[in-house]
Amino acid sequence: MRAVYIACTRKHLLDGCNKAIPVPVERHFSSPVSPSGMPEDKPDTINKPARKSRLSLRGSMILSGLMVVAAFILSMGFHFQEWTTGEPASNTVFLLFSAVATVGLAGWWTLIRRFEGLKDTSPARKLWTLLVSGGILMTVAGVIARIGRISAPGLELGPGFDINTGIALTFPTVIKMGLISIAMATFSFLLMQRLRSLILVKRSRSSERNWRLLLGLMVASSLTTLFMEPGASPNDWQNVAMIVVAVFMIVNAFRLSWIVFLSFKEKLAALGLCLVLGIFLIFSLGATFNSSVAIVPGGFDYLEHFFMPLATFTQLAGVFGMMYCLTAFLSLLFHLPTSGDYEQRAGERATMHSLAALVGQVFDADRLFATIAASPVEAGSADASWLVMPDPDTGSLRQHIVASHNLDPDRIEQFMDPSELVDALSDDGTGLLIREAAADHRLNVGSGDRLGSLFVVPLMARDERIGALFAAKGVVNGFERDDIETISIFAAQASVAIDNARLFEQQVEKERLSRELSIAREVQRKLLPQEAPKLRGTSMAASSVPAQEVGGDYYDFVKLGDDRYGIIIADVSGKGTSAAFYMAEMQGIFQSVSRLASSPSDFLHHANLALAQSLDRNVFISAIYGILDLKDETFTIARAGHCPAATVRLDGESRLIRTPGLGLGLDRGDLFQKSLVEEHIQLAPGDVFVLYTDGVVESRNRHNEEYGYDRLLEIVDEHRHEDADGIHAAVLRDMRQFLGAEDYDDDMTLVVLKWHGLPLDVLSSTETTLKEST
Amino acid sequence: MSNFSVGFRSNGTVQILDLQGELDAHTAAELEAAIQKCQKDNRVHILVNGANLMYISSAGLGVFMAYIEELRESGGDIKIAALQPKVYNVFDLLGFPMLFDIVETEEGAVSKFETASAD
Repeated sequence: MRAVYIACTRKHLLDGCNKAIPVPVERHFSSPVSPSGMPEDKPDTINKPARKSRLSLRGSMILSGLMVVAAFILSMGFHFQEWTTGEPASNTVFLLFSAVATVGLAGWWTLIRRFEGLKDTSPARKLWTLLVSGGILMTVAGVIARIGRISAPGLELGPGFDINTGIALTFPTVIKMGLISIAMATFSFLLMQRLRSLILVKRSRSSERNWRLLLGLMVASSLTTLFMEPGASPNDWQNVAMIVVAVFMIVNAFRLSWIVFLSFKEKLAALGLCLVLGIFLIFSLGATFNSSVAIVPGGFDYLEHFFMPLATFTQLAGVFGMMYCLTAFLSLLFHLPTSGDYEQRAGERATMHSLAALVGQVFDADRLFATIAASPVEAGSADASWLVMPDPDTGSLRQHIVASHNLDPDRIEQFMDPSELVDALSDDGTGLLIREAAADHRLNVGSGDRLGSLFVVPLMARDERIGALFAAKGVVNGFERDDIETISIFAAQASVAIDNARLFEQQVEKERLSRELSIAREVQRKLLPQEAPKLRGTSMAASSVPAQEVGGDYYDFVKLGDDRYGIIIADVSGKGTSAAFYMAEMQGIFQSVSRLASSPSDFLHHANLALAQSLDRNVFISAIYGILDLKDETFTIARAGHCPAATVRLDGESRLIRTPGLGLGLDRGDLFQKSLVEEHIQLAPGDVFVLYTDGVVESRNRHNEEYGYDRLLEIVDEHRHEDADGIHAAVLRDMRQFLGAEDYDDDMTLVVLKWHGLPLDVLSSTETTLKEST
Repeated sequence: MSNFSVGFRSNGTVQILDLQGELDAHTAAELEAAIQKCQKDNRVHILVNGANLMYISSAGLGVFMAYIEELRESGGDIKIAALQPKVYNVFDLLGFPMLFDIVETEEGAVSKFETASAD
C-alpha cells in the first residue's frame, strides 16, 4: 500500500515538471492522516459504514422518499380543497397542512443530503454541477410559470391568486404552484448542501457549530412567517430574526479555506463559476424585486402561496448563496497572484516526499542521481539542474556530471568546468550563488545558453564533500531566498541518500569478499593434510592457524617408500591472499617433486628451481624438509632459511637444529644449493622433533615479549615423556596462556614428531613372520 | 599509527637510511618508498642502519630482496649495519649474510663502500 502511494507521487512528479500536483496535495490536506503516515481515502471511509448497512439505508431512503411523495400529494390536496371550496381552510386544517409540509420538506432535505454525501469532488466541480442542476430546475420552473401567462409591456398580471383570500383562481394555477414550488425548493436545498460542503472543507468545531446555527436560524425564522399573508411585509420580530440570520450568513460566508488548495487553473475556473452562479442566483432566487427579468416570473408568488416558510427559506438561501459567491469571488481574485507560490510549496513538499522515499528504497544509483538532479526543477525552484560527483563507474576522482534535468550534460560542460566550480565551494556546506552568470569568470556563458543565474550547493556526507547540486535559472538574479533554502534542503537530503547508497554498496561488497575469502579458506584447509599419518614407532601431531582468512603456512607428509616418509614445513613471506597463492604452489611442488628427490637437500634444490620461475622478487619461502627412515631409524633434515627445528632427547638434552641454508627464492643460482647442509640424526627412542613457523616464536603478548625459542624448548622438555599429541597440546596451551587474549598476529603452524622406537609387539610379530617363512 | 620511520642521512656518496621501529607487512611500503627515492636521486650506495630497528618480519626482508638486483646492476649496493642481535638472527636464519654485506658498525659499512668504489 505504501509502495503504491510512493509510486503514485512519483508518477505525478514525472507527469508534470512545472505543473501543479493537485492530487497528493489535496489528499494531504483534505483527509486526516493516520499515525502510520498513510493518507486515508476519504470516500472510502464514508462508504464503509454505508456499505455495512446498505439494506437499512436503502430502506430508509425508500421510506423517506415515499413520505416526501405522500406529503407533497397531501399538500397539493390541501390546495385543491381550498380551490374547490374557494375559501381558506380552518386553522386546524392549515396547521395540519403546515406540519405535513414541514415534515415532507425535512424529508426531502435529508434525501438530497444523502445523495450529496456520497460524492467527493473538487470545489470547482461542485460549483459547476450546482450551476447545471440549478439551471435545469429553474428553466423547467420558468417554462411552467410562462405557460398560459399573459404578459405585455405595461401590463403586469399576477400569477392568478385571489387578492383577498390568497387562493388559486384556476386549476392550472394550483398545479403550476406545486411544481414551481418544489423545483425552487429543490434548488435552494441543493444550493445549501453544496455551500455546506465547501464551508466545511476544513472542519473545526466552530465551523460546524456556526453552520448548524445558521441552518437552525434560517429554519426558525422561516417558520415565524407561517401565518404571514403573501406579499405582506415582516413585523419587527421577524426583522430582528433576519438580522441575526444575516450575521451568521456573514460569518459562514468567510469560510473559504478550500480556495487555498486550488491550483491556478482551478482558481480561475472557480472564479468564473462563482461569478456566473452569483448572477444566476440574482435572476433565479433573488429576483423578487422585478419579476419580468426573473427566470421564473412570479416564482416567489407561487412559493408564498404554496407554503410561506418555504418561500422565506428559499429566499434566505438565495441571499446566502449570493453572499457566498461574492466573498468567494473576491477571495479567489485576491488569491490568484499567490497561487504560484502555493504551487511551488506543494511541489517542494511532493519532491521532498519522493526524495525521502528514495532514501529508504533499494539503491539504484542511476535512478537516485536522476531523481536528485530533477528535484530543484520539480519543486519549481529552478529551470534546470544537474548533479556533479566523481564518476562512480570509472572510480575517477574528477568531478563529472552524473545526471541532469532540462539541460544536456554536453551543453553544460561547454559553459562550465564541473570540477573547477565544485572546488570553489567551501567545505562547511554553504552554497555558492552566482547572480549573473554571464559576468562570472568561472562560466563561459553564451547568449544562446539561456543561463541567467546559477546556484551551487555542495553535498556533504559525514564532513566530506561528495559532490554538488547545481540549479540554474534563465533570468539574472533568479534565485530568491526561498529557492536557495529549498535547494539546500534537497542537497542535504540527497547527501544522505547517496551516502546510504554507498554504505549499502560497500556492505554488499564486503559481504561478497568475506564469502570469497571463506571459500578460499576452505580450499586452503583442504591443501593441508586432514590428519597426521600413523607410522609404526612414531606419533605425530600437527596444526596450522592462519592469522587472516588465508595464510602462507604449509605443512605436509608424504610416503616415499615402504619405510621412508617425508615431512615438510614451509612459510611464505608476507601474509594473506598473495602468500596463500604461493603456499598452494608450494603444495603442488611438494606433492610432485618430493617422491623424485633422493635427499632433503635434493628436494629443496629442485623446489628452489621451480619456484624461481614464479616467485616475485620480494617474496621468498622458508622451509624445513626431513626424511624419516623407519628401517634405519634415521631422520635426515635440511633447512632452507626456516626457523630451526627444536629437538629434545629422552634425557632432556634439547637444542635447535640450525643447519645452514638460504630461503627458497632468495637466490636463483648455485648459491642456494651450495649453502644447504643436511643433518643426519640417528634416532633414539624418546626423541622429539618440533617443527614450527615464526608465528610461534615471534608471537608477542601484551607486554611486547616474544614467546621465543627458550620457552618453546622448555615446554617441550617438560612434556617430553608424553606422545606427540600431548606435546602438541601442551605447546598450544602454553602459548595461549602466554599470549593472553591477544589475537594471533601471524600464521602459526606447529608440527610435532616423536620417535618411540619400534614397539615390542611389532618386533615379535616380525619375528613370527620370519619364523613362519622359514 | 605506524611505529616505523626511515631517516635520511648521507656520508659522502653513501646514502644512509636510519630505520626505526618495527618493519612488517604494514610498514614495508615506507622502506620501499625510501629506497625508490634513493634510486630516483641516483644515490645507489645505500647503507641501512638498523641500530633502532626493533623487529623485522619476512615482508620487511622482502623489501631488500626487491631492490638489490636493480641497485647492483646500476653499480650500487645495499649494506646493512648495526643490527640488534634479535633482528640479526632473523636475517641470519634466512641466510641473508650470504646475500648482503651485514656489518657490525656503520663506519665499517661506509669504509666497505669506499674500498669497493676505490677498486
